[in-house]
Amino acid sequence: MSNIAKFLALDKVATFFNIIKQNGGIRGSLFKLYRQDELKDGTLVGEDKFGNKYFENPRYFYGRNRWVEYSDKFHMNYDGSQVPAEWYGWLHYKTDLPPHLDPNRPKYKWMKDWNENLSGTTGQYTPYSTTRPKIEAWEPKSKSTV
Amino acid sequence: MLRQPLTRALALSSSSRIAPLGVRRYAEALAQPEKVEVFIDDKPVYVPPGTTVLQAAAMVGVEIPRFCYHERLAVAGNCRMCLVEVEKSPKPVAACAMPVMKGMRVKTTSDLTKKAREGVMEFLLVNHPLDCPICDQGGECDLQDQSMAFGSDKSRFTDIHFSGKRAVEDKDVGPLIKTIMTRCIHCTRCIRFASEVAGVDDFGTTGRGTDMQVGTYVEKMFLSELSGNIIDLCPVGALTSKPYSFAARPWETRRIDSVDVLDPLGSNIVVATRTNEVLRILPRTNEEINEEWLSDKSRFACDGLKRQRLVTPMVADSRGNLTPVEWEDAIVAAAHAIRDCPPNKLVAIAGELADAESLVALKDLVNRLGGENVCTEQYFPMGGSGTDLRSSYLLNTKIANVEDADFVLLIGTNVRFEAPLLNARIRKAFIHKETDVAYIGPKVDLTYEYTHVGDSASIVKELATGSSNHEVLKRLQSAKRPVVILGADQLKTSEGSALLAFTQELALRLQDKLEDKEWKVLNVLQRTASQVAALDVGYKPGVGAILQDGPKVVYLLGADAGVVTRESLPKDCVVIYQGHHGDVGASIADVVLPGAAYTEKRGTYVNAEGRAQQTLPAVTPPGKAREDWKILRALSEVLGARLPYDTLDEVRHRMAEISPSLVAYGDVQNNNYFAQARVLAQSLQKPVSGKLDVQLKQLEDFFMTDAISRASPTMAKCVQAVLKQKQSPY
Amino acid sequence: MQAIKALGAVAPSNLLSALRKGALTPITDQVRQTHLPAPDTSEKRPYSPFQKTTNMAEYAVARLDDLLNWGRKGSIWPMTFGLACCAVEMMHIAAPRYDMDRYGVVFRASPRQADVMIVAGTLTNKMAPALRKVYDQMPDPRWVISMGSCANGGGYYHYSYSVVRGCDRIVPVDIYVPGCPPTAEALLYGVLQLQKKVKRMKTVQIWYRN
Repeated sequence: MSNIAKFLALDKVATFFNIIKQNGGIRGSLFKLYRQDELKDGTLVGEDKFGNKYFENPRYFYGRNRWVEYSDKFHMNYDGSQVPAEWYGWLHYKTDLPPHLDPNRPKYKWMKDWNENLSGTTGQYTPYSTTRPKIEAWEPKSKSTV
Repeated sequence: MLRQPLTRALALSSSSRIAPLGVRRYAEALAQPEKVEVFIDDKPVYVPPGTTVLQAAAMVGVEIPRFCYHERLAVAGNCRMCLVEVEKSPKPVAACAMPVMKGMRVKTTSDLTKKAREGVMEFLLVNHPLDCPICDQGGECDLQDQSMAFGSDKSRFTDIHFSGKRAVEDKDVGPLIKTIMTRCIHCTRCIRFASEVAGVDDFGTTGRGTDMQVGTYVEKMFLSELSGNIIDLCPVGALTSKPYSFAARPWETRRIDSVDVLDPLGSNIVVATRTNEVLRILPRTNEEINEEWLSDKSRFACDGLKRQRLVTPMVADSRGNLTPVEWEDAIVAAAHAIRDCPPNKLVAIAGELADAESLVALKDLVNRLGGENVCTEQYFPMGGSGTDLRSSYLLNTKIANVEDADFVLLIGTNVRFEAPLLNARIRKAFIHKETDVAYIGPKVDLTYEYTHVGDSASIVKELATGSSNHEVLKRLQSAKRPVVILGADQLKTSEGSALLAFTQELALRLQDKLEDKEWKVLNVLQRTASQVAALDVGYKPGVGAILQDGPKVVYLLGADAGVVTRESLPKDCVVIYQGHHGDVGASIADVVLPGAAYTEKRGTYVNAEGRAQQTLPAVTPPGKAREDWKILRALSEVLGARLPYDTLDEVRHRMAEISPSLVAYGDVQNNNYFAQARVLAQSLQKPVSGKLDVQLKQLEDFFMTDAISRASPTMAKCVQAVLKQKQSPY
Repeated sequence: MQAIKALGAVAPSNLLSALRKGALTPITDQVRQTHLPAPDTSEKRPYSPFQKTTNMAEYAVARLDDLLNWGRKGSIWPMTFGLACCAVEMMHIAAPRYDMDRYGVVFRASPRQADVMIVAGTLTNKMAPALRKVYDQMPDPRWVISMGSCANGGGYYHYSYSVVRGCDRIVPVDIYVPGCPPTAEALLYGVLQLQKKVKRMKTVQIWYRN
């Protein structure tokens, strides 16, 4: 029975409908396709502080079997830097344990909270100049400090 | 009296080492002896006897390589690089020292010549380190170039395995010149320059053969105001510039022709820049002014252009502290002050580095507002013809002609430090022409011998009236081409006008008797680069009387000489300073408008002989600084007294209206109306009794005289080094 | 550009007075404000960066800009300017694994049809005039991505006598991609950053406000 179904590729059809269903029906699937150019089914592994969801499905080939679906609030403005450092390792196969299941992750006071890349906004990092000015300006002597 | 070493005196038959004849208007029309014909590479050329083979070759465009030979120095003939084959001569001869003979056939490209050059190159390189990659001369090195052109293509040098190369300890000759004596090839150009041109006979050689060393015998600073020139003269990297060391390669720099403004002569310079930064200043040949020399201040003070600069407009806040503001606010603040001030209470004072464009713009602006008080810092007596006749405040003889003089009388001027290159000219005349020099003023070292007549002003009067029985008067009267040079500093005192009148009387009396009617005797040596242009434009010289009226607004155009002090002004007086350095002027100012220095603008400067020359912008003005005439133009807009020029050409047009000589670049006019000036001055010939004193007496006084050189760390080091040298037993 | 034109239009004689009245401040502010405020992490981010419109006309031009920018950012064609090892990484983003074509990025071997120049590698003094010439041949609007340490600031060859210390001395750079060489991923991220920048362009809005 299952062999026949396999022969007729009915399992693929089943997967297709499963994917549509998991992604929220036809409307939801079309919206995801618009945002991500891709539709996948998988198990939800976790969610980070931005609301990004992390999925895994070993059926896909290694390299595509872990992925992130960016939070809806980012809409089309998602960006690779919106994945926090703790999830980055899981996403890139540095570790198989997602952060909330990994007890050995170091956590110190001096560790800064993750922030996305702010280039192009007023929050961007601007390096200070390390070159000596070519011209030394004259500093007027202050006459009174009152 | 022997004025130079005997060997050189004998070798000095050639007159072309003095400026080329074309430049020297008054070169004596010697009875030209018959010319001899010689053949350079079979090309015939007729030259006067006594010409050397090298000079004859240069006439037909054949350049013979040389290291020790230099047109302006005595012939040494010790590098042997100029060896050429001469037909019927058993050995190659040194072209620089060999006088031509009739029918001589010189072969500069023959195999023997080439072999000789290659051999000389090989010997020179045996003891020359191969450190071109770390040598500052790299790229402008005669040895590098000539070893490429004439040297062997392979090395036979194996000594490195046995004895190695010769190494010589470096000498310390002061904060300007870096010596790497291992690189020295013993051309002795520096020695000859020091003893002939600079007149400081400190350099010499010790030892012979491999042990020969060029040095100062005992460790000693090269105490000369022209020391930087030996850097240019050195054909290798033995003498390089200390402030410029490891800064840049010559092919990286952009070179802009410009004019120096740190002394009144307006020497021609080349400003080398890279990435909008002035790296060094080199002399540019101009036979009529500086030949190819440059004084140390002009050459090394360029690092002062990078320090103490005004880069942003500033306005004094309620507490009196200058705070940076935008141009708009500063101009409006300045305009407010000027608008609230009655025109006769507005005083404009131009400083020593102001260009003619801004001088004209400032005067036009003040005149448009109804004021008349525009003056310069330097004083000049207004009695008699005052500044109406150009002849009474210029070097009328012209700088190049001084070397044709046969008697020079200096009155109250230390030419050596006030105009070093004019002094070099006098020294050249003294050495090569048997010119005698007399001097009235405090005893100073002029690098040559002079008759010291005394330091009392009354001597001038006695000379002028003919009542003196000093031998100088007789010498003056018998001289064919006398020159009288009066220092403008002496005119500051109350006796200044009388002193000028007597000097005019003396000079004119001598001039009337001359056979050569074109020769001018009277010279007044100004102290600053801007003074002549300011007087041409119609500025009043000196501030004295104007400040006593209690001005309400004082506009300082780069006035940093310290003649205006806060104490001498009323309390409510507003001081506006426009200039490029934070110096005396800016520190007393209420509004500071940053201007451009001479390397940053196209500006006209008129030198002490009345020659207009222009500087070209080598770098952009730093920060918010702008060209000076543009600042004045913008200010006039806000004041509602719009100046009628928008471009530099229009400003120059306006300058030409005032005086065509201001825009006749490179040209110098002959001055006239001496007789009229003399008549007008006759009433001023009052008895004088004071003593003449000069401001710059010693070498340490020379280095820091204006806003740029006071800001220069190199100049400060020079002063310290000179003072330290004075402590030394040598 | 528009601001400069506007400055030139005012006669120089009353420029100062016009400036004092503050006539140009809205325009200059608008032009200077190329940066958006930093986003709040908790807020929803709409597609268009131009949200604060005061009237209908402004709304209309803002949407026109959105349309124009959508078109532009969806077809950024880079001029291939491979200079050194970075060029190899640049080739990788064209290959299937990174597949730049999915962002509408297609290499174009002619400056006349290119939108962006990727300066990939060490820019030498000798190459600099050629680079500038190619840049000058590109039609407006054009962008430059400086790829790798050498193009960013000279990199390893900063102290060399023959290398330009950063290609921004020759052409105006929009995006700097760090790395020696940057990975193909990094370059792709740079292209995405450029898309973000293109999305902020205010072509029609500036035209309208003038």
